[in-house]
Amino acid sequence: MAGLAILVPILLATVTYELWWPYNPNDIDLLAINKGPSPEHWMGSDGVGRDVMARLLQGGRTSLLVASVSMAISTIVGFSVGAVAGFAGRLVDGTAMRLVDLAMTLPPVIFLLVLASIAGTGVGPTILVISLLSWPVLSRMVRSRLLELRERDFVVASRGMGAGLWHLLFRHGLPNTIDILVVYATLQVAGGILLEAGLSFLGSGVTPPEASWGNMLNSARSVLVLENYPRQWMFPGAVLVITVLAINFVGDGLRDAFDPRAELN
Amino acid sequence: MGALASEFEVSPDSLSYTFRLADAKWHDGEPFTSADVKFTLELAKNAESGGLFAARSADIASVETPDESTVIVTLSQPNSAFLSVLSYVMMLPEHALAEIPVAEIGKNARWSTTPIGTGPFRFVRYVSDQYVELAAFEDYREGRPKVDRLINRYFANPAAAVAALKAGEIQFSFVEPDDARTFDGDTAFRVIEGDSFVVNYVGFNHRVGIWDDVRVRRAVMHAIDRDAIITSIFGGAAKRADCGYVADQFVPEGLDPYGYDPEKAKALLAEAGWDEINGAAPISWVTYYNSPQVANLMAAMQAMLAQVGINVVPRAVDVPTYNGIVRGETYADFPMTYAGLQNGPDPASLNVGLNGSQLPPVGNNLMRVEMPELSSAFDAAMAETDSAAAAGKWQQVCRAMNEQLPWGTMWVASRYGVASSDLVDFHWTPAPGSGPYVAHPEDWDIAP
Amino acid sequence: MLQYTLRRTAVGLLMLLALTVLIFIMLRLAPGDPIDAYINPSVPMSASDLDVLRARLGLDQPLPVQYFARLGAALRGDFGYSIQRGGDPVLPLVLSRIGPTILLMVSGLVIAIVLGIATGIISAVRRNQPTDISLSIMAFVGISSPAFLTALLGLYIFAVTLRWAPAGGMLTPGAPFSFADLLAHLVLPASLLSIGHAALIMRYMRSSLLEVLSQDYVRTARAKGVREFWVIVKHALRNALLPVITLIGSTIGIAIGGAIFIESIFDWPGMGLLMINAVSRRDYPVIMCATLLTGACVILVNLLTDMAYAAVDPRIKVA
Repeated sequence: MAGLAILVPILLATVTYELWWPYNPNDIDLLAINKGPSPEHWMGSDGVGRDVMARLLQGGRTSLLVASVSMAISTIVGFSVGAVAGFAGRLVDGTAMRLVDLAMTLPPVIFLLVLASIAGTGVGPTILVISLLSWPVLSRMVRSRLLELRERDFVVASRGMGAGLWHLLFRHGLPNTIDILVVYATLQVAGGILLEAGLSFLGSGVTPPEASWGNMLNSARSVLVLENYPRQWMFPGAVLVITVLAINFVGDGLRDAFDPRAELN
Repeated sequence: MGALASEFEVSPDSLSYTFRLADAKWHDGEPFTSADVKFTLELAKNAESGGLFAARSADIASVETPDESTVIVTLSQPNSAFLSVLSYVMMLPEHALAEIPVAEIGKNARWSTTPIGTGPFRFVRYVSDQYVELAAFEDYREGRPKVDRLINRYFANPAAAVAALKAGEIQFSFVEPDDARTFDGDTAFRVIEGDSFVVNYVGFNHRVGIWDDVRVRRAVMHAIDRDAIITSIFGGAAKRADCGYVADQFVPEGLDPYGYDPEKAKALLAEAGWDEINGAAPISWVTYYNSPQVANLMAAMQAMLAQVGINVVPRAVDVPTYNGIVRGETYADFPMTYAGLQNGPDPASLNVGLNGSQLPPVGNNLMRVEMPELSSAFDAAMAETDSAAAAGKWQQVCRAMNEQLPWGTMWVASRYGVASSDLVDFHWTPAPGSGPYVAHPEDWDIAP
Repeated sequence: MLQYTLRRTAVGLLMLLALTVLIFIMLRLAPGDPIDAYINPSVPMSASDLDVLRARLGLDQPLPVQYFARLGAALRGDFGYSIQRGGDPVLPLVLSRIGPTILLMVSGLVIAIVLGIATGIISAVRRNQPTDISLSIMAFVGISSPAFLTALLGLYIFAVTLRWAPAGGMLTPGAPFSFADLLAHLVLPASLLSIGHAALIMRYMRSSLLEVLSQDYVRTARAKGVREFWVIVKHALRNALLPVITLIGSTIGIAIGGAIFIESIFDWPGMGLLMINAVSRRDYPVIMCATLLTGACVILVNLLTDMAYAAVDPRIKVA
């Protein structure tokens, strides 16, 4: 619950900031670069005189959008592949699992490079990269849960009654893995935010001048900023850590709620 | 090569060059002789070796060696670039390489295990991605170097290099302009500033059709407040470039300074009918510069261009991607670039980037500039052998660039190295390709 | 079981083959080749030179020809020469990077395990007391921080400001090898690397121990008057460690790929740094060889895990 209490205000602030914050994240002011916090600019200004607060809020919107959409995609793909593998019989299972293995063996750096150069950098490709990197883990979890389920009476029965794959997936697969899905999805949002930051560091991800928490943090790569203007990376850093922390809290709470054994007290 | 010849003379018909070789030794103790020169030049000429100088050294008709320290090179036709080509050829030891078949010399393992040369330091070892270790060469022709060892460390991350410099682990490094400022006022370090000899420009791809009207290109120049960017983002460490050159002798009087004037930019765009040409459609703006400073520069320029109604979207890619894109024919992938090209000390460096005869795949005219007046200005300047008259010809090039704006020339930034104050007699010039500009490393020393 | 193993091995080999095709195609889809990587865009260079270089590397051949030439050579154990590094043979280069990566990973993991298990036990024993809460919050912050930022800050604080450790590299350049020197270079990156793992292990350890502590046999032991310390060490710990061990096992397979951020910030000469450099220079032979090697490791680990499951749990039919 503490997680939600932190998360909701952050979410609200990033979504509505245009209504109450006077500055635009991409407005430059070359006469006031690298300024400290002041009553007008609460968090100061960056290397081209943009308002750090406005960029932080816009960046949060971008980062959260990237993380949520990629979470949705990877959850859907991960569940589908895992569930089909779990229910559809040996041949499909074997093929699907080898596909998952293959996806897990691909070096992320190359994957990134190729996607970035084909699709370009920006919000869309970043979402694509994060989703494609994340789904295999979920597939494995869903499959192993459903493998146990496959041999249970009610599944065998409904299959005997001629239920199609579609029916099996949604009547039996989904309800029996919903706990995995919800917890995974929550943690994946946190993971997505971190991954987006990491991608920025490697030179892909959401590229400036569009703001994201990742590329704002990335300004710490310049020793000048790291040393002389710490607030330019400290504010986004702090907000990022707090947000991820809050999401992790929520995820942990959900896990406990679904799995009463984990932490009774 | 230049350093290894003590003197040379050219025959009146410009066909025959006679070199007297300096008294030098290879790192393995063997003397450097005219046979090595003959071996090297013949290897360079031989396309089978896979070397890069085959085409450029094709004019060499014969290499004769009357004695151990004399080389006579005869050309089949006069070639004014011959000496400069020679200065790039690295001399090779015949006694060590003669046994290896010509076709395999290029990939022979000795380049990375036991290379030998004639310089002040000899190779000790190379640890991949970590460092190259060099040791003083006792028999160096100008005396033994003062330091015993020279270690060239590699850093994957510029911030790590700065960290190692500040921690005292390394004594010298190239430093990003922004990072150089963090050494200001620190007496333990000396910041060396120099001309980068690279002019940065906004490249207009002349094949995409949106930049055809010179008024549009002028509007871009008027929209960007270069002076403000130089004072703020560069902290004054750059020179405004109104053409490809900033050196006084190549810049004529009376250039259009293209002062910051958004209203004029808007008017020019309206006149040219920008709404019809492109309007507010996003224009991808490609660069291979990945430093935080350039990200800031481009953000600033993007905002300034947006004010007048040109919607550009910066896109930073790595060097191979950039080269792959701009050397290709998919012009829509790079309607606009932010790039740099070496503009000095030799002004002819810009020729490959702007002369209509240098379109890819032949040359480096990546923006596909085809402006007859500019091309003939370049041709005239290139053909001029008298150096006093040549300066005037280069001024013509500069004027043509300023009027026609094949590129939106922006600035020439300074380049920085930071050296520990412990270093004594450290001569070093920040310049592209470093190569021939490193001066007298044998004098470098570390204070006790 | 034997038949199963054989079949899985065959499938594994097929997957490696698929991996090579995939990587090969992906690399060629990316714009820019090794020659493009070699050109500095700011320095003029003649294009005919580039064609000479391309032909020398065989890059002017059609793609399938290039692929099968590479594959054939690789099957004979010849992985080719690095393009970027002036013709060094690739295989020794890649093999030389595995050692440092494993050293870094294992040290990081050992620190993480010791730290994670110790703090996990303390947290579980002092459940909901200030110690537990502060340790838990620290663990959560550890999990929630971006790796590159902690690495960058760690480098800056400990190497530049405090000068407790050298700023990157694995050995002092030019100095004779000494264990102390290696250790000095290892401590900082390994500790920074361990943060995320330690936090995760701590969370697992804590909840697993709490669960065990609430079980009947522990209560019985307590009721018999066994001292709390011995209850935890003798009875609870052994059972609580099981899920933690599973967690640790699952991270090893991925570890061989190297820790990209730590390695690149600390210039640690491991697989991650090799890969980043090779990709940025489009050094195709190095990329292929490194991918193949790490891919083989991951496939092997997956195979072993599946076989272990099959051996332990007869309910899972050998599929």
